[in-house]
Amino acid sequence: MDLWQLLLTLALAGSSDAFSGSEDSSKEPKFTKCRSPERETFSCHWTDEVHHGTKNLGPIQLFYTRRNTQEWTQEWKECPDYVSAGENSCYFNSSFTSIWIPYCIKLTSNGDTVDEKCFSVDEIVQPDPPIALNWTLLNVSLTGIHADIQVRWEAPRNADIQKGWMVLEYELQYKEVNETKWKMMDPILSTSVPVYSLKVDKEYEVRVRSKQRNSGNYGEFSEVLYVTLPQMSQFTCEEDFYFPWLLIIIFGIFGLTVMLFVFLFSKQQRIKMLILPPVPVPKIKGIDPDLLKEGKLEEVNTILAIHDSYKPEFHSDDSWVEFIELDIDEPDEKTEGSDTDRLLSSDHEKSHSNLGVKDGDSGRTSCCEPDILETDFNANDIHEGTSEVAQPQRLKGEADLLCLDQKNQNNSPYHDACPATQQPSVIQAEKNKPQPLPTEGAESTHQAAHIQLSNPSSLANIDFYAQVSDITPAGSVVLSPGQKNKAGMSQYDMHPEMVSLCQENFLMDNAYFCEADAKKCIPVAPHIKVESHIQPSFNQEDIYITTESLTTAAGRPGTEEHVPGSEMPVPDYTSIHIVQSPQGLILNATALPLPDKEFLSSCGYVSTDQLNKIMP
Amino acid sequence: MNIKGSPWKGSLLLLLVSDLLLCQSVAPLPICPGGAARCQVTLGDLFDRAVVLSHYIHNLSSEMFSEFDKRYTHGRGFITKAINSCHTSSLATPEDKEQAQQINQKDFLSLIVSILRSWNEPLYHLVTEVRGMQEAPETILSKAVEIEEQTKRLLEGMELIVSQVHPETKENEIYPVWSGLPSLQMADEESRLSAYYNLLHCLRRDSHKIDNYLKLLKCRIIHNNNC
Repeated sequence: MDLWQLLLTLALAGSSDAFSGSEDSSKEPKFTKCRSPERETFSCHWTDEVHHGTKNLGPIQLFYTRRNTQEWTQEWKECPDYVSAGENSCYFNSSFTSIWIPYCIKLTSNGDTVDEKCFSVDEIVQPDPPIALNWTLLNVSLTGIHADIQVRWEAPRNADIQKGWMVLEYELQYKEVNETKWKMMDPILSTSVPVYSLKVDKEYEVRVRSKQRNSGNYGEFSEVLYVTLPQMSQFTCEEDFYFPWLLIIIFGIFGLTVMLFVFLFSKQQRIKMLILPPVPVPKIKGIDPDLLKEGKLEEVNTILAIHDSYKPEFHSDDSWVEFIELDIDEPDEKTEGSDTDRLLSSDHEKSHSNLGVKDGDSGRTSCCEPDILETDFNANDIHEGTSEVAQPQRLKGEADLLCLDQKNQNNSPYHDACPATQQPSVIQAEKNKPQPLPTEGAESTHQAAHIQLSNPSSLANIDFYAQVSDITPAGSVVLSPGQKNKAGMSQYDMHPEMVSLCQENFLMDNAYFCEADAKKCIPVAPHIKVESHIQPSFNQEDIYITTESLTTAAGRPGTEEHVPGSEMPVPDYTSIHIVQSPQGLILNATALPLPDKEFLSSCGYVSTDQLNKIMP
Repeated sequence: MNIKGSPWKGSLLLLLVSDLLLCQSVAPLPICPGGAARCQVTLGDLFDRAVVLSHYIHNLSSEMFSEFDKRYTHGRGFITKAINSCHTSSLATPEDKEQAQQINQKDFLSLIVSILRSWNEPLYHLVTEVRGMQEAPETILSKAVEIEEQTKRLLEGMELIVSQVHPETKENEIYPVWSGLPSLQMADEESRLSAYYNLLHCLRRDSHKIDNYLKLLKCRIIHNNNC
């Protein structure tokens, strides 16, 4: 038993020591709160001192310091008033309080600092609660269920509002008596505020608290104000009337839908037009939309060509003009059978072999591009009959696309765009022959051409185009029945002299040359080479004359004379030289002065230089 | 004396906002030495607008300081480390209510004007330096720009008030000069942050002073100590 008592005592002593030790550490005084109610005084409070434990904490002291002007004085002064604010507090009266100067306070016990804090007075401002709350009834709703009241109060006494030293804002809260959660209103700066829509038969609680504007915290709440609204009406309804929004919306949508369907499906077109007016479709005068649908491009083109604005689309397409290359090396082969023939449904067979100028060069996108029409021509070569009719149309269409002719330009010299790409020599094919052109002749020409040709080039055997003299308003095309004679020749059938001659006058002008010039170059050749009675004259349609041939032809007036002269028919076609103005076409050969005979009529194209010479 | 109407006509809206103070009996006493014909705006209106502006500026300064502290210097003990000496400390500004009541009206007004003038340059440099910062904090920059502009307007308004209340006052251009620009441009980040902290802290404090002083003056001059 003694042992047990000893152990118990030791245990108790030990535990008490431990307890006292922990108590000591946990009971260190700390600052709880510093507060200034009116910005003129402030006080600080700290925790109670616990006198447990073996340690003697000694008197607790508070020291403060404040920064003066430039630096911390670090001169700690003791609290001036330990009493006025209660126990464990320090009160600083107005003489010790400065607003914009930071303070630091520290709590010491036996000389040891136990706690420290720094602040400025504005941060610790917490106004007193407002006083003298009261309320007045503003009005009661018509149903007698709700009422509005006005709540008034006064600022706390110690806050100097009159001099403007403090500016307070207030927060009002209210709730029904048996509720738990307070309803809050927004902060306001005035001391009265209306509270709306309180239920008449309920009792309410209202409370207000204040805070300094801009800084500090909310003070304590004022005393609670009880609001009991008198019952005005005897017939107070217990239930609230809720506006049946949902029903209205549903019925409204339903009604609108019904009306919409009625209108949509009604037979009355007038109403339908009112609600859903038809969208206008694009329309061009004179064009039947069905025509467009069927894809008859040629007809559409002719119709549209009536409108001046349309033509330049085709005429002023410079892109293909730019791509036209002068290819001197390639012989000129012309298919037999002109477009005009085909267009005029003349039986005509073209030399198949002469068809399809194979043009290895790129960039030939002109109407003279044989590749474009190659297949067609190949197909139509031996063709007679309906296909020819069809073909010309298509050809014409393509021709229109590529080498559009202006209706009001006739017999004018053009820049020979097409021939520029092609060889100067043209394999002429007889046009007027009812029977198919002797293929042999063409072949021979072709062969002859081949001999000379370095590259197999096929110029149109194909009449890529016929001269359109006019386009009737109705939309049909009138072709000029030019000479159908074609002389198929290759440029290199020509006498080498011719070639050189032709090339002498070759004007580097976009490789556009007058047809006549080309003819001049060319005619010599067939005399030499071409065995068939292919007249040396150019078929007017054969515009594919290289510039060299043209120029050389131009340079040889002597030999040229007869060629263009004898064979100077009304040009079947006039190709279009694109001049500066998008819609201007120089076609009128007759306008040219006589000396420039080579430019007359047969000349499809005029080089710009020549043009400049001609034109003043 | 010409009354600059342009900065003030545009802020007529502030009149609506000016119904903030708890003035139960507003008896405007238009002190207009030049006669009614010369005064287009009453002194009460001028004070109302000035108070609104000063309040706004102080709000912005507080926010700017809080943002800066939160972003750059929070918890790093700058408040104790920083010297916290403001360039306006040389001015004898009242530090509590009694001192504010003792200072006379004229001196009070010139004091406010001096503080405002002395902040023109620091605000300008603050904006420039913040703008040139590597990652210029947009909110802080925008507030600084706004403060700079509003301070200029407030200064104009104050000069107007002074001209009305004390027309005989000679233009006293003496104000504390700020020389903290080099510290704002220091290479050492710690020192630079400390300089910014100090500047923004001073700005917050001074804007609060101006706001307080103006409210005091307004109640004193316009409402006769009965706001």
